[in-house]
Amino acid sequence: MADTGSSEGASGRSTEEYRPPSGRWKLLIAIVAVLVVTNFVTGLTAYYLAQSPAATVPLCAGGGGVRSSAAPSTSNGPSSVAAAGASPPVFTFHFEPPYHTTQATITVSPWAGAEFEGFRPVLENFTAKTGIPVTYENLRQEQLTQILPAQFASGQTPGDVIFMVSSFIKANPQHIIKETSNISDSAFIPGSLDPVKVGSDVYGGVYTGKVKPGFWYRKSFFNAHNLTVPTTYADFKALLVTISKIKGIRTPIVSGDSVGWPLSDIVEHFIATYGGASMHRALTNGTKHWTDPDVRAIFTDRLVPLLAGGCFSEPLEWNTVALTNWWHGLHALYFMGSWITGLVDNTTDLGVFSLPPPTGTSTGIVFAGDYFFIPKYTTHLTEAQQLFGYLASKDGQTIQVEQGGHIATALGVPLSDYPAVDRGVAQLMNGVQILSDLDDTIGGQFQTNFWSQLQLLWVSPGQLDAVLASIQSKMPAS
Amino acid sequence: MIRPRLRRVAIHLFAWGLAVGWLFPFVGLTMAAFRPFPEIVGGWWNFDPFTPSFTKFVAAFNAISFGFRNSLLIAVPATIIPMSVATLAGYGFARFSFPIRDYVFLTVVLLMTIPQQMVAIPIFRIMVGLKLEDTLLSLVILHSAWGLPWIVLFMRNFFSALPKEVEEAARVDGASDLKVFFKIVLPMALPALGAVAVLQFMWVWNDFFFSLLLCPATPSCMPATVALYHTIGKFEFDPGLLAAGSILVMLVPVSLYVLLQKFYIRGMIGWTVKG
Amino acid sequence: MIRLRIEGVTRVLRRLRDRARRFFERRGSLRARKAGLRVAFFAPALLLLVLFVGYPVLATIGVSFFDANGHFVGFANYGNVLGSPDTINLNGFPKPPPYGTLINNAIWIAIHLPLSVFLGMWLALVLQEVRGAVWVKTAIFIGMVTPLVIGGIMMLYVFDGAVGIVPRFFDSIGIHALGNGWLQRPTTLLFGLIFGSVWLWTGFSLIVYSAGLTTIPKEYWEAAKIDGASTLRTFTHVTFPLLKPMTIVVVTMSILWELKIFDLVFGATSPNGGVGGAADVLAMQMYREAFVQFDSGAAAAIATFLSLLTLVATLFTIRYMVKR
Repeated sequence: MADTGSSEGASGRSTEEYRPPSGRWKLLIAIVAVLVVTNFVTGLTAYYLAQSPAATVPLCAGGGGVRSSAAPSTSNGPSSVAAAGASPPVFTFHFEPPYHTTQATITVSPWAGAEFEGFRPVLENFTAKTGIPVTYENLRQEQLTQILPAQFASGQTPGDVIFMVSSFIKANPQHIIKETSNISDSAFIPGSLDPVKVGSDVYGGVYTGKVKPGFWYRKSFFNAHNLTVPTTYADFKALLVTISKIKGIRTPIVSGDSVGWPLSDIVEHFIATYGGASMHRALTNGTKHWTDPDVRAIFTDRLVPLLAGGCFSEPLEWNTVALTNWWHGLHALYFMGSWITGLVDNTTDLGVFSLPPPTGTSTGIVFAGDYFFIPKYTTHLTEAQQLFGYLASKDGQTIQVEQGGHIATALGVPLSDYPAVDRGVAQLMNGVQILSDLDDTIGGQFQTNFWSQLQLLWVSPGQLDAVLASIQSKMPAS
Repeated sequence: MIRPRLRRVAIHLFAWGLAVGWLFPFVGLTMAAFRPFPEIVGGWWNFDPFTPSFTKFVAAFNAISFGFRNSLLIAVPATIIPMSVATLAGYGFARFSFPIRDYVFLTVVLLMTIPQQMVAIPIFRIMVGLKLEDTLLSLVILHSAWGLPWIVLFMRNFFSALPKEVEEAARVDGASDLKVFFKIVLPMALPALGAVAVLQFMWVWNDFFFSLLLCPATPSCMPATVALYHTIGKFEFDPGLLAAGSILVMLVPVSLYVLLQKFYIRGMIGWTVKG
Repeated sequence: MIRLRIEGVTRVLRRLRDRARRFFERRGSLRARKAGLRVAFFAPALLLLVLFVGYPVLATIGVSFFDANGHFVGFANYGNVLGSPDTINLNGFPKPPPYGTLINNAIWIAIHLPLSVFLGMWLALVLQEVRGAVWVKTAIFIGMVTPLVIGGIMMLYVFDGAVGIVPRFFDSIGIHALGNGWLQRPTTLLFGLIFGSVWLWTGFSLIVYSAGLTTIPKEYWEAAKIDGASTLRTFTHVTFPLLKPMTIVVVTMSILWELKIFDLVFGATSPNGGVGGAADVLAMQMYREAFVQFDSGAAAAIATFLSLLTLVATLFTIRYMVKR
């Protein structure tokens, strides 16, 4: 384009012979091209938005549904269930490194707020029994993933006993003290120690855990509408249809979400029930592929029809919106882990059932144990080992279990020590194999991709094949 | 033909309406911070139950207060250092000539365009090697170095637009380079320096990637932006807390902007009007 | 022994210094000393830059040729990254997102750039006649001074299904497809974030154009009016060409910004770029490879590739910005 004078402008320039720039056609073409591109892109958007999948036979579009996303009709203000999110995460920390105080072991774990209040009595009991003071530091898993490699590389550690995901423990045995005397398989529920073993050497300990037993419901809701716990899959589907017709229900099942882990829990439950514990394990260690026909069949035959039929809600923030809406009757079923008992007021109203297994399949239940380890760089080895042994024994775990929301891995904890609701969950564990959480075990980029692909599956069930292919592509080469 | 008066009214209405509408998301955030979450489900424009309170702000402040301290301790040095260093260099590029000057200058300016990700991995390794990981100093150094290219460009453009006569007069009188710079040029450069200061401070305060890289989780060095991000836990999510925290962190650069608007504008357009 | 050694060394150094001084004094002393002093103007800046910017850039390029275990693999990392569906995923197009990071960045540029440039320009023109325009500009510019990660967090609130303005608005006017949470569906996630970024960044182009308009002398417009030009012709023939320098700056900065975008997406979604990776961008892909997957080679390859893109984008305009 021709220059029409500098931007600084010369105020004395003559105004008579102003000539427009000669490149005006180029300018016009440029503007038109840009507008065409943006309109094209916007048009595509509108096209895809108009294509939100409408299932031909919406399974759960019962008619009792409430259309808008407006607030639940209870007018008595925020229920105390929302208190789950009300106490802000308390971030305990120390400014000066406490690592070298004498006679103290530091436990680093991701619990804060209410969850920590449940853990505190365990530590206090330990100190009372052994006289070893324990300080506690709260660091979330994401933070530990960043800090630990750097600190270990320079020979330091933020704690003497650290709770961390099993995949980390398994991948970093070079930084961890191998356990030889403290624990043996036979003292725990079968399978509990597998995630922290390298070969047959045990590198971590297992504490209590949370089970992901199945779908939770309010007993009062079921009683009020004469609903019963399903015993076959056909029953389950019929239950969903019935629920969808109840007035006030938006979708029968509510899907929790944060970064995606609640959705992965649901998927793992379907696999563990209808593919069996063996399929779940095979997928975890890579011997089976997500794109295999039998794995795919679980999705196409069971999960996808429910998703496409509107039986699941879209992913909602799990411990605020999803929990509140479920408790207030906008949804009937909520798949969640056993820690839900710590999040509601009225635990006697809670009931849970697992998906009805097909006859003859040995099913599994995903048990997310909390694992811990002693790093090599600890300065209080003997004290740490004592704490380690305590946490891995039925002594320590009983106290935790009594607080509610946890299931012990150590054998020998009597059922009577469990609060009533947890007892029901513990009983669901009978005759069932323990499985470890699939995405936690594999970890890394697989996990984050797994979550986001499942989020996609939830809103676009038609993209199943692309989703399975993407999940499989991020499996670590074994 | 629309009457000019009507047109003026229409334009004013439109402009002011636009300004108000543009701020809606901020209003939404404020509502989420002041009101309990169930109240605003369905839209914060429902004032039926309206119970504002400061609890979330108190909680947010408790959760991220160390972040403010750290951000300040990082941003202030990381503004002063590159400003001083780059002003010298900018003056040098503007006034001194030597054979490779333009090539060096071009390289420095090109460094301005690379993404932060380009230096992330080696910087991480360097800082670990210098035993500076998880310290405030590492972020100060990194931000100072990172801010140099754009400040050098900015100051060099500014200096080359200054008339040379004053400096040459002083040189004829026998003043050395340093004296000319400090006693004559620098006082003239104060407005530009002001612009640089506010912009660099804002960019360091607002930075997230470098902070996440060098100080992801240690409270003694974690800046406010990262501290805020950490309140989004995997297992506990408090939307009111997050909103309140966001407002607190945002308040610093926004109030700086409102107070020192002139400098921001001058900085932002420093590349254009001055050639 | 050591004491003697040190004294010996200092003596030697002192002698060297005196000799150097005499050497320089003999050779046009003032000029040489001035040259030495002038180096001091550049030294600290160049030192910092070489150590903490220059060297890391070269090191990253170097790292990109090795794999995660430290073995030299040549261009394999680049091949893997560019061939991965994470980066380019157009199988079966037309289809909804995810499209891959490179395509996402391209779409971002395609939408954000023209929108913010023209919006800024148009608003600058309109606001010329508005009283109190400075407050309007302030309101629009605030997006530029907020930390972008908070901008991303605000997207969480704005697009949330239950409390967000945008879904509630569309729901109320009857477009229910857009009435759900925008962040849960891939298409609305991507485009929602893009429009959100336009909202945040238009302030920049508005300010630049506003300032630019004040430099155009009124005579040009008066001349056009005398010539009988309509508003549109005045715009295309007078205003737009005269704003060219500003346009170049705004376009360059916008493209750079859209290529490098990270904070906004990170704050609004997750390290994976949201639902199915629909809002994934190159910078986030690099972050994931480096700090979730711990594959420095692939991460360095992505970073280098991204830098090449930014380099190309600015090559045409950097000359203009540097011109004396």
